[in-house]
Amino acid sequence: MAQVKLFGYASKISIKPAETLEFHVNADGTTLAQAQLVRLIHGDQHPSGPGFVEEEIACEANGEWVVRKQYTQLGSFLQVADPQARLALEGSLTLCAFVYSSLPLAGLRQALVGRWHNQRNFGYCLGITQQGHLEFWVGQGDQVDYVQTEVPLLPDMWYFVAASFDATTGRATVHQESVANRYNSLLGRVSPIDYRSHVSEVFRFRQKHLPDTPFLMAGSRDWHETRGEFVSQTFCGKLDRPAVFDRALGWDELALLMKGEVPTGNGLVAYWDTSAGYTDQGIGDTVIDTGPHGLHAEGYNRPVRGQTGWNWNGRNDCFRLAPHEYGGIEFHYEVMISSNWEVTRSVTLPANLKSGAYAMRLRAGDGRGLGEEYIVFFVRPLKPKAPIAFLFPTASYLAYANEHLSFDAQIIQPMTGQPPIVTDIDIEMYKNKEFGLSTYDAWEDGNGVCYSSYHRPIVNMRPKHRISSMGITWQFPADLSIVAWLEHKGYDYEVLTDEDLHREGVAALAPYRCVLSGTHPEYYSEQMLDATEDYIAGGGRYVYMGGNGYYWNVAFRPAEPWIMEVRKLDSGMRAWNARPGEHYLATTGQKSGLWKNLGRPPQKMVGVGFIAEGFETSRPYRRMPDSYHRTVDWIMKGVEGEMIGTSGLAYGGAAGIELDRYDLSLGTPPHARILASSGGHSDNYLLAIEEILYPYPGLSGSQDYRIRGDMVYFSAPNNGAVFCGGSIAFGQALPADGFKNNVSTVLGNIVDAFIQPGRLPGAFWVNNEKQWR
Amino acid sequence: MANFWRNPLFGWGVERAEEQTPTNEYRPPQEPWDATTGAKVEMLPVGRLRRYYKWPGHGGWTWNRKRYWPTRRRVLNIRGEYNPKTLRREKTIADKRPIWWVLAFIFLAIAPWIMPLDYQSTLLTAGATFAIYASVNLVWMLIIGTAGIFSLATYAVVGAAAFGTAWLSINYGLPWYVLPFIGAAVGLVFGVIIAIPATRLDGFYYALLTLGLNELCRVYALTSKVFGSSTGGLYGASSYIPDSWDDLNQSRLAYFACVALMIAALILFRFVNGKRIGRILRMAPEKREAFAEATGVNFRQARILVFVVSSVALGFIGGFYTAHYRGVSFSIFSFDTVLLGVAMLVIGGIGRAEGAVAGAAIVIFLDKALISLGPIRLILIGLIMLGVVLFLNGGLFGIKPQFRAWREKKKSERRSTRAEKGGEMLPEEATETRDKDLIYWRRYDKMQRDYLKKLVSPALIAEHSRCPLGQHSEALERLLLYFRRAPLSDKYAIIAVEPFKAYRIVALSGQRGVAPRIVEEKTYASQEEAYHGVFMRRVQDLLES
Repeated sequence: MAQVKLFGYASKISIKPAETLEFHVNADGTTLAQAQLVRLIHGDQHPSGPGFVEEEIACEANGEWVVRKQYTQLGSFLQVADPQARLALEGSLTLCAFVYSSLPLAGLRQALVGRWHNQRNFGYCLGITQQGHLEFWVGQGDQVDYVQTEVPLLPDMWYFVAASFDATTGRATVHQESVANRYNSLLGRVSPIDYRSHVSEVFRFRQKHLPDTPFLMAGSRDWHETRGEFVSQTFCGKLDRPAVFDRALGWDELALLMKGEVPTGNGLVAYWDTSAGYTDQGIGDTVIDTGPHGLHAEGYNRPVRGQTGWNWNGRNDCFRLAPHEYGGIEFHYEVMISSNWEVTRSVTLPANLKSGAYAMRLRAGDGRGLGEEYIVFFVRPLKPKAPIAFLFPTASYLAYANEHLSFDAQIIQPMTGQPPIVTDIDIEMYKNKEFGLSTYDAWEDGNGVCYSSYHRPIVNMRPKHRISSMGITWQFPADLSIVAWLEHKGYDYEVLTDEDLHREGVAALAPYRCVLSGTHPEYYSEQMLDATEDYIAGGGRYVYMGGNGYYWNVAFRPAEPWIMEVRKLDSGMRAWNARPGEHYLATTGQKSGLWKNLGRPPQKMVGVGFIAEGFETSRPYRRMPDSYHRTVDWIMKGVEGEMIGTSGLAYGGAAGIELDRYDLSLGTPPHARILASSGGHSDNYLLAIEEILYPYPGLSGSQDYRIRGDMVYFSAPNNGAVFCGGSIAFGQALPADGFKNNVSTVLGNIVDAFIQPGRLPGAFWVNNEKQWR
Repeated sequence: MANFWRNPLFGWGVERAEEQTPTNEYRPPQEPWDATTGAKVEMLPVGRLRRYYKWPGHGGWTWNRKRYWPTRRRVLNIRGEYNPKTLRREKTIADKRPIWWVLAFIFLAIAPWIMPLDYQSTLLTAGATFAIYASVNLVWMLIIGTAGIFSLATYAVVGAAAFGTAWLSINYGLPWYVLPFIGAAVGLVFGVIIAIPATRLDGFYYALLTLGLNELCRVYALTSKVFGSSTGGLYGASSYIPDSWDDLNQSRLAYFACVALMIAALILFRFVNGKRIGRILRMAPEKREAFAEATGVNFRQARILVFVVSSVALGFIGGFYTAHYRGVSFSIFSFDTVLLGVAMLVIGGIGRAEGAVAGAAIVIFLDKALISLGPIRLILIGLIMLGVVLFLNGGLFGIKPQFRAWREKKKSERRSTRAEKGGEMLPEEATETRDKDLIYWRRYDKMQRDYLKKLVSPALIAEHSRCPLGQHSEALERLLLYFRRAPLSDKYAIIAVEPFKAYRIVALSGQRGVAPRIVEEKTYASQEEAYHGVFMRRVQDLLES
C-alpha cells in the first residue's frame, strides 16, 4: 500500500466566526480522511513545557472527508487570451524576443514563445534545447521539423533572438545576437566570445494547429491522462518584448528590432510591450499587447515583473524612473506560488467560535507523521471585545513558509552551530517541488525567491513543527507559547493577523488596550508599520515580544493578500541578494530591503532593533540599574534576585536566537529604560551584518558588548507605552517550569498594567505619584 | 602536561561553562602550509593537442544547412561550441561516418577500372561475392545486433529461397526478375516459422535450434533428388547476366548488380535499425525483456516484425543469389558458411552496418582474393577472429572508443600513483576543471584537514561529549567550524524518529528533491547524544580522509 500523505491549505488565513472557509486537500494513498476542528493552544513538544495542547471543537465539518490526489502546476509563464485564434498562424511567421537565459543547461527543453502542444506535436515554438541551443520548431501532429543555432546560449546574457519561417519556400531561419551592454549581463566586453548565430534550413511541411492550444510565453501546453491539461517546458530566465508577425522577416528588418525599434504595421500580429502599463504603485500580472489585436497575456505563478530589461544601462535603478529599461519579466521553471487546487470542502465555522488560532486536523492511515495535517487559520472576533489582542505575524510566516535551509544552504550549519534535525515531513517537502520555496531559498538558477503565498501547504505553519536547522520551534508553533501563556493566565484576549493589520491599518488595533506581537515579526509592510506606530502614538500599549522585528519591507496586492513580495538587497541578514537595478517591489513600486535603510529603524518605533543572532544557546537577562527606578520598578514586582529567564523552551533561556538592542543613534526614544540585559553569549552569536562597516576579529558574543538582548520600556503619547522582550527566545521562556518563572511574572506585571485604562504607573512622574509610590 | 583553555563565559555563570577545560597544545595553523612546500609530487606539463580539425564558426553569416531529401536529417551532424580553453567558436563533425561511406561508395564505383588487369576477373568475382555476403550480413545484423538474438538460421533462409527459386526457374522457366520476389515469399514463410520460437527461447537454445534448422535444410537438400543430390546443387536457372556479353562486361555487370543489392541492404538496415523499431529492439535485448516490458515497450511485436522483415529480405537475397549464380549449391547450408558469416560479423563489430560490410570485405578478400595462399588463408581468418574476440570489445569499429577508454584508464592510473591521498588537484585534472575556484578550494581544504587531523585528541572528544553546543575551546571550535562548513552532499544531519525520544543519523543529498539517506542503524535517545554521534562520525571521516 502506498504511504498515506495528507497536505492542504485554507483559502483564507484570517476569518470571523460563521464565515465560510474553503479547504484544499491533497491526499496520497487514501481517499478518506478524518477531520476535526481544533483550537490550538500550545505547539511546542519540548519536555520542559506543557507539551502540545489542542482543544477539539464541535463543527459541522468534523468527521469523514473524501479527499483525492491533486496536481500542482510548476513554473511561471504567460498565457495569451486569443479567442479568435489569431496566433494560430498556418503560413509564414516570425517570432522575436529579447531573452536572458539563466539556466540554458537545465537538462530540460524550455519554450520561449509559441503556440505549441507538447503531447500532440501541433503548432510552432521558439525555445531552448536540452543542450542550451536556441531552436525553432513546427509540428503537424505526426512529425516535427526544427532548426537550431550553431552555438548554445550562454547563461545570464541578454540576446536578441528570432525565428522566421517562409511558408512558400519552407525556409526557416533562427537568429541570435548579443545585446549585452556594460551593465545588463554577466560577461563584459573583454571576454572574447562571438555570440552571433544565424542558421537556415528548409522545412518539409508547414505547421498545423489544434483549435484550443493557447499561445504561451515561457512554457508550452501539455496533457496527461490523469491530470488533463497543464503546462510544461517552462523556462528559466527573463523575456523582454516578444513579437509575432504573420510574414517572414529578413535579418535587415530584424536587425532594426534588435536596435530597439518598435515593431509596427506590416504583418505585425502581436507585440507584447512588457514595459507598458507600469504604474507608480506597482505592476500587475497582465502583459499588454500594443499590437493591432490587443492580445494581452496573463502571468501564472507570478512571473517577476519590472526586472531589468535588455536595454538597462545602469543609470536608473527603478522601473518607475525608466519603465522602458525595465521590460524584463523573470521566469523560473520550477516556481510554485499558489497550488490552485480544487476545493475539497467548504466549511462554515460555528457562530460561537472564540477568537484564536484554529486548525482543521486531518488524519488518515496511522494518523501520525505524514498521515496527519493541521490546516491552520486564525479566527478574529465578530466584534472586538477583549482588552488584549495577540497579533500573529503571518507575513513572517509567509517569508519562512517551507524553507529549505537545512537541505540547501551550506551556510546554515556554521550559522546555527549544530547539525539539523529533520523529520519525515521536512523530507517530504524537500522531495517534492510542489511545496514551493520560501524567501530564504533560491530557485534552481540561483536567483532568490521574492514571492511567497499561503495558498499552498505550509509545513512549518503547523503546531509541533520544529525548524530543522535550529532544533527549536520557530514562528507559528513558537508563537503558540505566548497564546498558551495568555490562556494559562486566564486573560481575556483575541487574535489578529498581519493580514488584518495590513488591510485595516490602525483600525484593527485601535479597539484593544494592549497588543502583543509574535516572537519574530520580521516582515512588515508600510501599512502595517504605520498602523503600529499610529496605535502606539495614539495611546496604545504595545508589547514587542520578540527579536529582529520590523526588519524587511514587504508588499501585498490588495486583491491578493495571500502573496507577499520581498526583495533582499545590499544589507541585512539575507539569504540572497537581488540583482543590481532590481531593488524595488513590483507590487507597490517601493524600495524593498531593510526598514532601517529606508529611514525607519525598529528602534524608532519600539525602542530596540536587531543586533545579533546565534543559535545553540540562550542566556538569561540580568536586571539593569534603571529597573530599580520607581517609575518602572512595578514591572519587576515579584522578581526575586537579579536574573530573569534562566529557563526556556528555546535553548534554555529567555535571551537567545535573535537579539535586539537599545540604540539612541537609531532612534530609541530618549527616555527609554533598559530594564534588563542579557550577557555571556557564545561566539556563535555574531553581530548583524548591517551593523558592520568593516569586519574585524572579535565581532562575536564573548568579545563584543553590543551582543545582548535589551528588555526596554518607555511611555508613549496619550498614555501609550511599549515594552520589549528583547529576543526571540523571550516568548518561548513563558511556558517553562509550568509557567512559574519570572519572565511570566514580568510580562504579567506589564499586561496587568497595560489593560488598565487611564494613566500607566509612573507615566509622568508627577508629584502625587511620587508620594504614593 | 595538559594544557588548559579558560572559558570566557565562565564569569557569566553560563551553564556547563567550566573555568578551565583540558585542551591541546597550541599548533600554528600555518604548519601544513610550510610543510607543503616540501612536497615531492612531480608536476608534468599538460595540454593535449587537438586531434581533429575544428572548423571555425559562421559568426554573423547565415549558415544554410542542407538535408538528405526528403528526410529532416542534416547532411552532416555538426556540433557547434565554444572552446572552453580559448572561447573560440568551433564546429566539430560529430559523426564522420557519412564521409567514410561516400568515400567507400566512390571506391566501389571506380574499383573495376583501377584494378590490376591480371587479377581483374578474380577481383570482380570477389567483389560481387563480397557484396552478396555483405548484404546477407547486414540483414543478419538486424537480428544479431539490433534485436540481440543469436540466430544462425540466416543461410538456411537464403538457401531455401535460392533452392526454391532455382527449382522453379529450371522447371517452370521463370525469368530472373521474378526470382528475388519469389525468394522473398519463401523468406516470409521461413521468417514466421523462426520468429515464433524467438519470442520464447533465449540465447544458447535459440542458437541451437536455428543451427539445427540450417542442418535440416542441408541434409534435406543433400538427399533430395529434386534438389539435385546427384549434381551437388541446382544449376541452369535464369540469370540477369546476358550470355551474349563478353566475360569482363559480364563480371562488371555482376559486380555492380551485387553492389546495388548491398546498397539496398544498407538502406533496409538504416530504416530498421535507425527508426523506432530499432530503438525498441535495442532497449529490449536478451535478459532485459522484463525491464522493457515494465516500461511499456511491446518488444514481442517488434521482434516478430524484425524477423519477418529480415527473412523477407534474406529470401530476396536468396532469389538474387540464384539469378546471379544461375543456381545454388549445397555449400550454402554448410556449417563453414555459417562460421564464415559469424567471423565477418565479429571481426567488423556486432551492431554496426560498417562492421557487417568491412567484416565481409576482410574475410572475402582473404578467402577469395588470396585464394593462391591455399588453406593457410582459413587459418589466417581464424587467427584474426581469435584476435578480435580476445582483444577487442566491439570488433574493428570498436577500436576507437576502446582505445580512448584504455588511454583514460592508463592516465588516471598514472595520476593516482603521483597524487597524495585526498590531496590537491594535479595539472591534468585542474586544466579540465571548469571552475578554477575549485582548484584552490581543494588546496585550501587539504591544508585545513592536514592541520585539523593533528588537533583531534581525547581531550577534545571528551569536551564535546560534555557539551555539544555552546562555547568550546579554540581547538574544538576550529574542528567544529570546519565540519559545519562542509559542502552539503553527504553532510551529516539528524532525523527525529520520535521527537525527544529517538534520533538517527542521516546524510544529506545536497541535491534538491533527493531525500537524505540513513547512514547507520544506531538510535540515539537524545538530541545531545545524536549531536555527539554526528561529531564522532565527522572526526572519523576526517581521520580517514
